[in-house]
Amino acid sequence: MTDDRTAPAAADAPWTCPFCPLLCDDRDAAAPGCAWAEAALAALAVPSTGARAGHARLHGQPVPREQALRVAAEWLHAARQPLVAGWGADVAAARALYPLACRIGAINDVTAGEPLAQALRAQQDRGGYTATLAEVRRHADLIVCVGSWPAERAPRLFERLLAGREAPPAIVVLGNSLGDGTDRPRSVTVEGRTAEVEWLAPGQDLPATAALLHLALTRPQRCADERLRSLAERLRAARYAVLVWEPGQLGAHAALVIERLQSLIGRLNLTGRAAGFPLGGAGGAATAQAVHTWLSGLPLRTQVGPRGLEHDALRLSTERLLADRAVDLLLWVGSFPDQRPPDGDRPRILLGPPALAHALGHESATVFLPVGTPGIDHAGHLVRCDGVVMLPLRALRHSTLPSVAETVNALLAEVQRLDAVAVTEVAA
Amino acid sequence: MTWTLLRGGRLHDPTNGIDGEVRDLAIRAGRLVDRPAEPPAEVIDASGCIVMAGGIDLHSHIGGGKVNLARMLLPEDHRDRMVGSNPCAVSDNPLELISCGHATPGTLATGYRYVQMGYTAAFEPAMLAANARQAHMEMGDTPILDHGAYVLLGNDEHFLQRLAEGAPPEEIRDLIGWTLHASKAMGIKVVNPAGISAFKYQQRKLDVDESHVHWGVTPRQVVQALARGLTDLGVPHPLHIHGSNLGVAGNIASTLATIDALEGLPAHLTHVQFHAYGLEGPKKFSSAALQLVEAVNARPQLSIDVGQILFGQTVTASGDTMRQHANAGLASPRKWIGADIECEAGCGVVPFRYQEKSYVNALQWAIGLEIFLSVRNPWQVVLTTDHPNGAPFTSYPHLIRLLMDRPFREEQLARLHPDVAANSALKDMKRELTLQEIAVMTRAAPAKLLGLSDRGHLGVGAAADIAVYRDDATDRERMFTTPEWVFKDGRVVAHAGRITATPVGGTHFVTPRFDDERDTGFAEALRQRMARNGSLHPQHLEIGHDELCACCRGGRLLPTACFEGAAS
Repeated sequence: MTDDRTAPAAADAPWTCPFCPLLCDDRDAAAPGCAWAEAALAALAVPSTGARAGHARLHGQPVPREQALRVAAEWLHAARQPLVAGWGADVAAARALYPLACRIGAINDVTAGEPLAQALRAQQDRGGYTATLAEVRRHADLIVCVGSWPAERAPRLFERLLAGREAPPAIVVLGNSLGDGTDRPRSVTVEGRTAEVEWLAPGQDLPATAALLHLALTRPQRCADERLRSLAERLRAARYAVLVWEPGQLGAHAALVIERLQSLIGRLNLTGRAAGFPLGGAGGAATAQAVHTWLSGLPLRTQVGPRGLEHDALRLSTERLLADRAVDLLLWVGSFPDQRPPDGDRPRILLGPPALAHALGHESATVFLPVGTPGIDHAGHLVRCDGVVMLPLRALRHSTLPSVAETVNALLAEVQRLDAVAVTEVAA
Repeated sequence: MTWTLLRGGRLHDPTNGIDGEVRDLAIRAGRLVDRPAEPPAEVIDASGCIVMAGGIDLHSHIGGGKVNLARMLLPEDHRDRMVGSNPCAVSDNPLELISCGHATPGTLATGYRYVQMGYTAAFEPAMLAANARQAHMEMGDTPILDHGAYVLLGNDEHFLQRLAEGAPPEEIRDLIGWTLHASKAMGIKVVNPAGISAFKYQQRKLDVDESHVHWGVTPRQVVQALARGLTDLGVPHPLHIHGSNLGVAGNIASTLATIDALEGLPAHLTHVQFHAYGLEGPKKFSSAALQLVEAVNARPQLSIDVGQILFGQTVTASGDTMRQHANAGLASPRKWIGADIECEAGCGVVPFRYQEKSYVNALQWAIGLEIFLSVRNPWQVVLTTDHPNGAPFTSYPHLIRLLMDRPFREEQLARLHPDVAANSALKDMKRELTLQEIAVMTRAAPAKLLGLSDRGHLGVGAAADIAVYRDDATDRERMFTTPEWVFKDGRVVAHAGRITATPVGGTHFVTPRFDDERDTGFAEALRQRMARNGSLHPQHLEIGHDELCACCRGGRLLPTACFEGAAS
């Protein structure tokens, strides 16, 4: 496996912030201008070299890394149905995890994979039309955020979308269950120009709202909600309308909402121009989805089974598999500071930043292997939320923490050695 | 140093004028060499076999975002074709990592299947600069095959704006050179010139002399500027053109106008089958293959690939949002993905099922074959299906048989929509392509068109990429499906259909000598302008050699020099 460690990172190269779906590369890490980035950097501001960078742990006790790797490999070798979950890292990690998953016959899913799976299912059912960040910035004259205020999880979103624009787009937020009212921003100001934010809270849940908006567009006389009729008219009149949504904020029926929004976009595109701008896939999820799909042909929530690859976006969720005790081992990867392993009582092999050692809970039947964070401890690549642009990451500091890719490759080598020993024993 | 003797094969090596002679080949250190004095370490018996250079696919969508979107869109393409609920069968070969799919297989499967057919290189024709890192990664994860890509230009806002403002040709030339350099591409492809951008401004159609509603430039101007710039830079592969009005009845007029716009400059017209439709007949949809071929026969500076369709389920993946949006109603199954991308490109993924009983599909099939069989000089034609748009690459052996075996072709023709079978010019075409002509269209010509001097032939000094097929005159499909031996850089990578080694393939790219220091700060100004239209830090627009190496899994970097004397 190739490791990204040596590339591309000249020390004077721009820093790409790996912490939210936007992957901003226009600010220095010393002054990211973003509360999220600051918090994540602070969480990772612990020693990253030598012994102080943290020890591997076995059943709650510090052990040499080689011992932890050996035990983890033994567990992987012996597991009957392992789950490889999390995938919270970079391209190199996903490239390393897939061959390991093939070797051990795993089921693969990301952390908090439900939004990713719901968005995928909507796509598999109907497809959709989207635009990338630069495209939205250039063309959108009406932006409608559906179901949430996306800047809560992508703080610099509107700055990125509005920078350099002479006439900012109209911004509307559509949804019911937003904040407590007091925090709702009424405007966003970028480069001294202010764009107003209109809030529109209809009386129904999101799937019904999306359906009514579609109705307001296609058969306005059937839609009693005057405000939705008016919004539909504005969407129709827009030069280029963009709907923004976060799959993770659309509730249990996210796939249904997304499908209806895409249907609306398709309708608008018959006579005008419109596109979606879904916001999600942070923490390596969009990256893992892309890499797993290109290597195997199928997206995550796929099982490497004896009959072949079986993909099931509903059945093969981490939460369901652990709750049902349908797996007998969890290998989990989460190299970003906000990522936590899922609940469950299965034996666990956990790869995370050293600070995670303090948040492991009950550590019986647990191997913990500290790893570096891409974009902090080592170089790498991540896919941005629009699924098109892949950004290079560079290391911010000298670190002796191994990357996820290096750690997984070491595990694979050890598993292969154990497999070979087993074959020899059978032959003897 | 030890060497391998490939003994007694019948060679088809058009580049070196060898047409079916029995000759031995000596392989040492990955290259074909003069026979050394010492005895070989290994002898492979190729008697009864046809020996050709490894196949080179010059236009196959194997890497990048839209192919991956197609994979995500179609989980059904990654199940068993017979029993749709079953997974695809797993190889029992421990060298193959599990990977599946028919029209859009995973990259791992793509590499294995190509090599099992005797191909050793494939080129992604529609890399977006914004997506170049991913494209290189996907190709790097396509085992064994060498690879490269053509980057899209001709629809980005910056280029169109500068063209509209009357930028001097040297600036356009340097923009092209910089784009090739930054994205590590092998050539430039233009897709629906100015049309992808026009679609973002609500335009639904753009003829060759029609103006872009915002920038006011025409596809003719775009094609001219790009073809001129590439010629000035000395890039071996000429402008790769996916023309205006793809799939539209009567689009032969656009295609001929595009050829006219070139004013004698070299160009490669891609998947021309989709651009050779007339308006004759009761359905106002007819073959214009002969008109197209007439234009190609008269212009030795032009080359084409066909984009043959074959019947069955596939998926079309294209940068041409304008045309994909128009065709989305024909999607089967009924779903599609579209995207407007980074003020430089677009993406449309529409699943398609070509049917024998459909008049239009049957005619498309016939048009493709008519083109293959009527171009006089095989060096101007490359065998493609525009994978996966016309059919998956795995159908090449079937296509080769259609071209080499007239009774087989007529048998197939008889099964089609009766109006096509009765009226097509194809039914009177007696030509059967020879093995030598197939060798031209599948290796020698693509290597020449890409400027790969040490690939696509079997001369001394060439890379030892070799396919050894057991001769089978009765069934060329069977013969080309499973070569007996496949060598990649001198190493046996497949034997009798089984992968025997999985080295990482190399990455081809050109190294144009463009002037980015014409006036101080030109390059920086260019980067800043590009960044303003995009969303990346200017320094992130360029992929360096080290990063390319990491993207491509440490495979060899294979830079191709441009013609000397260009770009003064």
